[in-house]
Amino acid sequence: MTSYPKDVIKDLLEGRLPWQETHQIMSSYKDADRFETYRSIVQEEIDDGDRLVLPIGERLVIVHGEDGLVVRCLCGHRFGDYRTNWKLNARIRVRDSEESLEELYPGRRKCDPRWMEIREFICPGCAAMLEVEAVPPGYPVVFDFLPDLDAFHEHFLGEAPASPE
Amino acid sequence: MGERPTRSLREQLEQSERLFAETGRYQGIERLEMKKADPLRYERLFSRLHSTVVAAREGARRIAASPGVREVGEMVVALYTPEGDAVTLSTGILVHVHTTSRFIKWMIRHDYESDPGVNPGDIFANNDAFIGDVQVPDVMDVIPLFGDGELLGWVGAVTHELEVGGITPGGDVALAQERFSEGMFVCAEKVGTNDDLRRDYVIRCERSLREPIYWIMDEKAKISSCLEVRDRVLELIEDIGADVYLRVVREFIEEARRSQLERMRLMTVPGRYRGVQFYGHIAASSRLLPLGEPESLLHMPMEMTIGKDGFTSLDFDGSSPQGFHSMNCTPAGMDGGLFVTLTQSIGFDGKVNDGSYLGLDMHLPSGTWTNPDNEHLATATSWALLLPVFGCFQRLLSRAFYARGFHEEVFVGQTNTPMIEGGGISQFGRPFGCALFECGAGGSGARAIMDGLDTGYAGWNPESDMGNAEVWEQAVPWVYLGRAIDADSAGYGKRRGGVAFTSLWKIHRTPHLMLVTSEHSARVFDNAGLCGGYPSSTIQYHYALKGARLEDLLSRHAAIPHQPEVNGTVDPTLEELGRNGGLQAADGVYVGVLADGDLFSHSYNSGGGFGDPLDRDPEGVERDLHRGLVGTEVSEAVNGVVVRDVDGVVRVDGPRTADKRDEIRRRRLEESIPVSEWHARQRQRLESEALDPAVVRMYRECRDLSPKWWREFTSFWGLPDDFEPRPARAEEIER
Repeated sequence: MTSYPKDVIKDLLEGRLPWQETHQIMSSYKDADRFETYRSIVQEEIDDGDRLVLPIGERLVIVHGEDGLVVRCLCGHRFGDYRTNWKLNARIRVRDSEESLEELYPGRRKCDPRWMEIREFICPGCAAMLEVEAVPPGYPVVFDFLPDLDAFHEHFLGEAPASPE
Repeated sequence: MGERPTRSLREQLEQSERLFAETGRYQGIERLEMKKADPLRYERLFSRLHSTVVAAREGARRIAASPGVREVGEMVVALYTPEGDAVTLSTGILVHVHTTSRFIKWMIRHDYESDPGVNPGDIFANNDAFIGDVQVPDVMDVIPLFGDGELLGWVGAVTHELEVGGITPGGDVALAQERFSEGMFVCAEKVGTNDDLRRDYVIRCERSLREPIYWIMDEKAKISSCLEVRDRVLELIEDIGADVYLRVVREFIEEARRSQLERMRLMTVPGRYRGVQFYGHIAASSRLLPLGEPESLLHMPMEMTIGKDGFTSLDFDGSSPQGFHSMNCTPAGMDGGLFVTLTQSIGFDGKVNDGSYLGLDMHLPSGTWTNPDNEHLATATSWALLLPVFGCFQRLLSRAFYARGFHEEVFVGQTNTPMIEGGGISQFGRPFGCALFECGAGGSGARAIMDGLDTGYAGWNPESDMGNAEVWEQAVPWVYLGRAIDADSAGYGKRRGGVAFTSLWKIHRTPHLMLVTSEHSARVFDNAGLCGGYPSSTIQYHYALKGARLEDLLSRHAAIPHQPEVNGTVDPTLEELGRNGGLQAADGVYVGVLADGDLFSHSYNSGGGFGDPLDRDPEGVERDLHRGLVGTEVSEAVNGVVVRDVDGVVRVDGPRTADKRDEIRRRRLEESIPVSEWHARQRQRLESEALDPAVVRMYRECRDLSPKWWREFTSFWGLPDDFEPRPARAEEIER
């Protein structure tokens, strides 16, 4: 079975692994223990008692904490139950004017704010840019990902459920 | 021959489908017996078949005349079972592996075995998307594979044609509003017998196309590749016998189905994933055709569900309706979009064939652009919506790869590949028509561990290329003044998207050239970023400059323009040349007639970014600055990277970069509000303020097609179900 040491996976995840090795990993059979290694790497960044369940973004993770299964930022900010769209508990900056779009997309490059706006979802704790939406005015916020954690643990990982209940 | 019962092809297909429906396994195969009995032999047999189709495509590309096939590789060859399921496929335009499967099955269902008959040496062709294709230029040829009088399979080959004889020159006929203006259709037609094309078919091609040589020579290339595969497969059957052959190819398909599910379980996380994409269609220049809207905004939502067994479903509920435009897509086209994306994301090695396809399904609501119920509608530029929507699929899969820790497979996705086509009188003084296919080299979306591919990617062909400028200059009467990197075009992020390029041409030695562009969104981005990355700018304005008088600059030995824009504004030299008012920036599809001495520029798309742009390594920005891929202003505003001049070389200023990044983070918090507060304000705004009429029409059309989608819309905002968005009046709109 293909398997890689933790430091190799860590370098791979951070884009530090030399291209030859990266390419080798991309072209080889996938390592079935990847999630286990990955989970232990990301868990190292959470030292406040929360147990990592699933990373869902660059800084967003689902953890099992005292408040149940919740989405949090690595900085510690909590966004609530993972079954609710975390974006609804973030901060938002909307670029819906020529001027605000111009800063990112100068000249002819910008979208027409009558047809599309840029929504930036920002972590209230660390100001990280967590997600960006490009949608028409009035469009509902997109709920990107609702994992089926029970199926994941039982059928994909062969583990006990993440939730104690 | 073995003891196989004699059944019609239709009965064989029905039995295959029944067995799959009953067992969930291809042909009801329970155990991969051949694999188990002798795995090495099993793999050897697969390799022999696979190398045959790959080699046949490579050889045939040298026969083809079209630079689209020769330069860009717009061809694919595949082997099918008697029932029309793909066993193995070459590299190239993998879109068509499954569209061709649909074509074969269509012939079987329509009892071609009885009439017009399926005999050794027959050649069947198709480019009808409602039978099994994406668009008219994708012309597919299929030949039956007979051994000892029994049909043992099919061989198929597809090329993308550069001219199809539509209402405008080229193949991606953006002006088409119904199929009757798309070009020459070949509808599951027997175009050859005795391994050769029928003369009357060739005559039809000669008389219906602006540049028949490409189509006819590509036909010969396809037929030669099909014959090559047929002969090699018959040699193999001679060695192993028809019974073993039929058993093993079916096992290859069932194995691919199992592999697809297994990979999903290995590399993803079950659950529900959602994404959305939009496309701005401006058809003001096609108003001589009376149907359709002059301006429309198209909605492309996607929901992906990965089940506990790895089975994946894609749902397009809420999509915009079909319409009198060329961007409708048939279910066959949607299959094609799915298949080519699949081969680049999760089914990229081992046995990839129609078995992989059995591990997924799609819900394509009838009457939407994904599944038109009116077969008179046009599909000439299906790609305009297919590329963005399956770019979205790549992002949804990437969320799953990311969550599972396979960051090296995360790909922000493909974007549109704007097309330019022309026809009229060539530089050699004869009638011509051709698509200039350099769009095969746009920028890709970013990856999670590295930037996107610069000027070298197109979703529809994983090994595409821009082709040599000199070759295109032989095919079309316009010469390059420049191909240039489109700086700042890539989507921003910790990893940026791949950058795109622009071309600027002088129209050359032609008294009459009709130029047309297609497959570029106007006014809205038709791609997105991921995990904090931004969409790339895909807003296309193509410039035409009539009466450029380039010779005035040349006679003064003055600089001539090489690219249309610098930093998002028109190149000063180009602007100077256009001061007489001849410079036209086209918003949306461009259709115009130009002649010798005029200039035209076309730009291509970049990909979206991944991750927070403030997390980008400053050295990466410095490297991009040195290579001219980004500019200093945008790098400072977006990445927070401040540079200074050190002995004439741009270098990152570390301390000022750290300060700048702190400032940007501070501004993010100052300029943002809690989403709950924004939600309340937006709801109020929706009730009291008008929206652009195109946005309102999009919402209303999607509401009418999908009450379910509309219920989600209104419940998200806490509005009543009968809420009516108000369109702005003409006097409220300034553009």
